[in-house]
Amino acid sequence: MDFFNSMNVSASALSAERTRMNLISSNLANANTTRTPEGGAYKRKDAVFGATPLKNPFNKILDNAANRNIRQVEVMEIIEDKNPPRLQYDPGHPDANPQGYVALPNVNVVEEMADMINTTRSYEANVTAIQAAKNMALKALEISSK
Amino acid sequence: MPVDGIFSTTVELLGKSIDLRTKNQNLISSNIANAETPNYVPKSLAFEQELQGAIKGGQKGTPQITNPRHIPLKGAKDRIQSVTGQVIETPAKTPGKDGNAVELENEMTKMSENQIIYNASVQILSKKFSGIRSAITGTGGN
Repeated sequence: MDFFNSMNVSASALSAERTRMNLISSNLANANTTRTPEGGAYKRKDAVFGATPLKNPFNKILDNAANRNIRQVEVMEIIEDKNPPRLQYDPGHPDANPQGYVALPNVNVVEEMADMINTTRSYEANVTAIQAAKNMALKALEISSK
Repeated sequence: MPVDGIFSTTVELLGKSIDLRTKNQNLISSNIANAETPNYVPKSLAFEQELQGAIKGGQKGTPQITNPRHIPLKGAKDRIQSVTGQVIETPAKTPGKDGNAVELENEMTKMSENQIIYNASVQILSKKFSGIRSAITGTGGN
């Protein structure tokens, strides 16, 4: 049924946005972390989104032009920000280099907060889309109810 | 009076309209889901012109009925049934740096519009059936 395609697409976006929200939380939480298992300061992480065709086995059989153009969203990969770490002069810090500078994560808190708002809004837009599809499906059931 | 007569093309037309609006909703959902995907171009289903052409008819070389004994080969109903709409790309005027051409505001507006017209179609269809029903039972409208 067509409505479920619409809901599945929106659900894939909710999942992708939630992944991104988790990464933002992780970035914010580690904005000052100087030690990681990989060594060195924490590096900012970001999700790369990609549009992929619907993964519904029925679509192979019930193939039509409109369905072929529907794309769901998927997190293709999680990348580490390649920007250099922030250097702060703090000779007393145990992780300071011989010159007295500490390498702090390349996380910009203001940028993360802006990304967080963006993610929240995208999430809400997709919830609205699911509600719209649900209301349409329910409305169709009313056609001959009285 | 044939049974077809009381339903006329209204039921076909509204049914098709509901069907196409559902497909359009799928595409709009896809656009909203991919509002942050690099290089994604939003798509939309254009069918209004085609549907209007199907109601007016006669443009696609429909055989004319010149004798009452002729069997209609392709009437308005079949023409309406064969409308599929066309998927068109509707990129924003100012795509972002990542090549994404979705404008969330546009998509939300299109979704509301689509939903309202869908609801209107369902309501008219419902009224049509209830009118037929009251004609059959003779109990007046409800």
